[in-house]
Amino acid sequence: MPVTRRQFIKRSAGIVTVGMVVPRIFLSEARAEQAAFSPQQKLVVIQLAGGNDGFNTVVPYTDPRYYSLRPTLAFKESELKTTDGHSMLLSNQFGLHPALKEIKDFYDAGQIAIVLGVGYPNPNLSHFLSMDIWHTADLGGVGRGWLGKYADVALLGRSNLTAASIGSLELPKSFSAEKFVVPNIINFSLYNFITDPNYPGDYNNQLNVINLATSRAMPPGSVIGSVNSSAFQSLIGAQQVQRSVNSYSSSVVYPQNNPLASGLQMVAQLMATVPEASLLYVQMNGFDNHSDQIGNRQDDRANKLIGDHATLLKWFSEAIKLFHDDLTEHGLADQVLMLQWSEFGRRPGENASFGTDHGTAAPIFVMGNPVKGGLYGEQPSIAAGELDTASNVKFKVDFREVYATILDRWLGADSRAVLGAQYPNVGFL
Amino acid sequence: MANITYDEAAHLIRRMGFGGSPDEIEDLAARGREGAVDYLLNYEQIDNRGLDDLVRTSFDFSDPTNFPKFNRGELQRWWFTRMTVTRRQFEEKMTLFWHNHFATSASKTGDLFIYNQNLTLRNHALDQFDSLLLRVAQDPAMLLWLDGVTNVRGKPNENFARELQELFTMGITDVVTGEPNYTEEDVKEISRAFTGWKFFHPRIDPNPFNYQFVVVDQEHDNTIKSIYSGTPWAQTGNLDGGDVIGIICARRATARYLVKKLFQFFVYPLDATPIDKATIEKFADVYLSRNHSIKELVRAIFTSDEFFSERARFALVKSPVELIVGAIRMLGARYNPGTSAREGASNNTLAAISIFLGQDLFNPPDVAGWKLNLGWINTSTLLNRFTYADLLAINRTRDQNAPGLWLSHEQLKSFAKKNSKKTVKKLLSVLGPLEVDGEMISVLRTYLETDDQGNRIGFVSDDFTLDKKVRGLIHLIMCLSEFQLN
Repeated sequence: MPVTRRQFIKRSAGIVTVGMVVPRIFLSEARAEQAAFSPQQKLVVIQLAGGNDGFNTVVPYTDPRYYSLRPTLAFKESELKTTDGHSMLLSNQFGLHPALKEIKDFYDAGQIAIVLGVGYPNPNLSHFLSMDIWHTADLGGVGRGWLGKYADVALLGRSNLTAASIGSLELPKSFSAEKFVVPNIINFSLYNFITDPNYPGDYNNQLNVINLATSRAMPPGSVIGSVNSSAFQSLIGAQQVQRSVNSYSSSVVYPQNNPLASGLQMVAQLMATVPEASLLYVQMNGFDNHSDQIGNRQDDRANKLIGDHATLLKWFSEAIKLFHDDLTEHGLADQVLMLQWSEFGRRPGENASFGTDHGTAAPIFVMGNPVKGGLYGEQPSIAAGELDTASNVKFKVDFREVYATILDRWLGADSRAVLGAQYPNVGFL
Repeated sequence: MANITYDEAAHLIRRMGFGGSPDEIEDLAARGREGAVDYLLNYEQIDNRGLDDLVRTSFDFSDPTNFPKFNRGELQRWWFTRMTVTRRQFEEKMTLFWHNHFATSASKTGDLFIYNQNLTLRNHALDQFDSLLLRVAQDPAMLLWLDGVTNVRGKPNENFARELQELFTMGITDVVTGEPNYTEEDVKEISRAFTGWKFFHPRIDPNPFNYQFVVVDQEHDNTIKSIYSGTPWAQTGNLDGGDVIGIICARRATARYLVKKLFQFFVYPLDATPIDKATIEKFADVYLSRNHSIKELVRAIFTSDEFFSERARFALVKSPVELIVGAIRMLGARYNPGTSAREGASNNTLAAISIFLGQDLFNPPDVAGWKLNLGWINTSTLLNRFTYADLLAINRTRDQNAPGLWLSHEQLKSFAKKNSKKTVKKLLSVLGPLEVDGEMISVLRTYLETDDQGNRIGFVSDDFTLDKKVRGLIHLIMCLSEFQLN
């Protein structure tokens, strides 16, 4: 007969034992029928928050409209090369932003799928609603997160660190789940339960109390219930993190000033030391480039190779390269798929502030050794008659097709159960 | 005049402020419902010289270019000092509400303008809403934050026009009817109304903080704008930003949205039920009938039966600031902010902790502000809350003149009772009063009576037990899920 948390409390109250660990029963009580899940097929989601400018990420350098809509911001074909002269051209239509040097190398090696024109019907230009739409895979932006729904189907009963959000103090809504508590870890050394160092002998007494407190049954669906189950998982996870992650070592040197690199280093550290860590999430902010998207401070002259967007893309490119090197060093590179997304692209026409306003569909990158590299999807037209009333492009690939492809062909899930409908396979896996 | 109980008074001060000592709560309870709300609401009448003196000796904000004395860390230390020491708790709480509502980050505005904005929010926190909104919109921080300064005739920037409607006033859809409040066309038209809005520093003004708002004629779009076409709020004319703000603030959609925002921050989360919609309507009427007065609106909310209902009690999750400041005030812990001359890291402890709990003051995550309630809670922020609890509980009295935070042994003595049961109950009361089940109380008692080997040895309130076990008990109570609620 399974022991409920309530019964456990009744039995244990008053008989506090030194060094008590949380019984396995809590970890396994929910293990039921699950979707096929393999810790060797890992997914790292990289969110570029704020709305990444697709037109200056994958540049449609042969489209004359691109140049008329962006007299200041557009990259000429001759500018699509790195400072040491390597071409950034992907095809006779598209080139990558010169800051994406490492990404170009991956593309040439067949390890990046670029899906063009990814969006959804009736695009919402609010950051918050559009993010919610991507997080929930619901066009109203309501309900649980798509990865949370996947976790509820596939990960229940598995170790607390099977999924995690890394480097952010906020749990992304993609991970919003009904049952599975996804941990988020800002920093490994802080991920710990500590007590008064003056009385180390009291540590176990305090840990016992807090284990009992967080094992209490709370009214289902209540706020206090959610707080309590997060607290329960945080204590288990903290002990596991403290036992594991310090065994990581790597020859890869991650720069301190690159926020995405710091996050991906933690992902590598977790994957290398906690074998079940499989579904990881990192976020990089700053893509809402209404102004100063390109450099313009020096004598008021525009310089596309500096400015906010170039800096962000450079960080992105460098971080992916270092992370991939680290994975390769730890024998994990064949096990990891990376998905990059942003809540929308930016408007084809530039504004007066050396920037761009909120847009719609944009290219996204799916990266890693398991990917079949190349261009997928279709570039939306920026011809005047093809734009919508807000002067934005119409999407060509529904982002849920990308999710479905990953769920079905990489995570071994049934995408219909997670997304609520059947979507075509984009073909990059 | 309705009477209120001790627990109700504690609820009131946790929500209108951060929390009170037992004496403060008893004083509030004696004032009755309207009296207690009035006392907290008319804060300008409360003697606050203690704080004023402390701020004068602890900060030097005379020169915004003197970086060691005027920077983001100093601003955070200043605000935490105010919240922790002030006797005018509602002034700070309402400023915090507006900081979250008009969420602006110093990462884009710089420190001087975010400080100016904080003064605007604080000095006009209870004004007519239109008037507050106009001041915020014309303040340098907002003009920079949402790109107003680059919003010019012929090349409008939509950033402010969008968030003005989506986040500051009405929301995308009406919070009661669900009808769309505006269209993309309205965003474009309204952005034209705000073109040419700029600020400058008058050369002759010796005060480096005094910036002035100006509409630059040649950058302002002086043509006809049509907004809200086909609705009862339709207006066509050469509208400017001030006109638009007036039109929006008079819409019932704004009244409803603002009521919901206040309610969810101060009372309880609202559902899409008929009862909750009726609640919104009731307070929207107050806003509309009292000339959009924020003071009258919040007075109606805090004196309402909804506010004192069972449903409201512990219905919210404490924000990091509420948790940090509240615990200090409830426990009567000591806080010395230090001075700007002493550059030790310890004098900015509270702001540093708050960042790790998820609330970096003057740097909200985005223009929508912080995600409240369960948005504060995840495994990381919870562990960090537990670490703060430990820090507060075990920081012992030391040099009174050194900056920092501590809980004195004398203070512990006031919590310790004859036996373990009374001691647990006393601390559950001081830190809430929290409603905790009997089994948990028994677990906490057992903790007080248990030695390092796990033997139950009983409870004596001697100095050693106070220092070890009562501090441990405070840490543990602050780790309870009950304590995370407000």
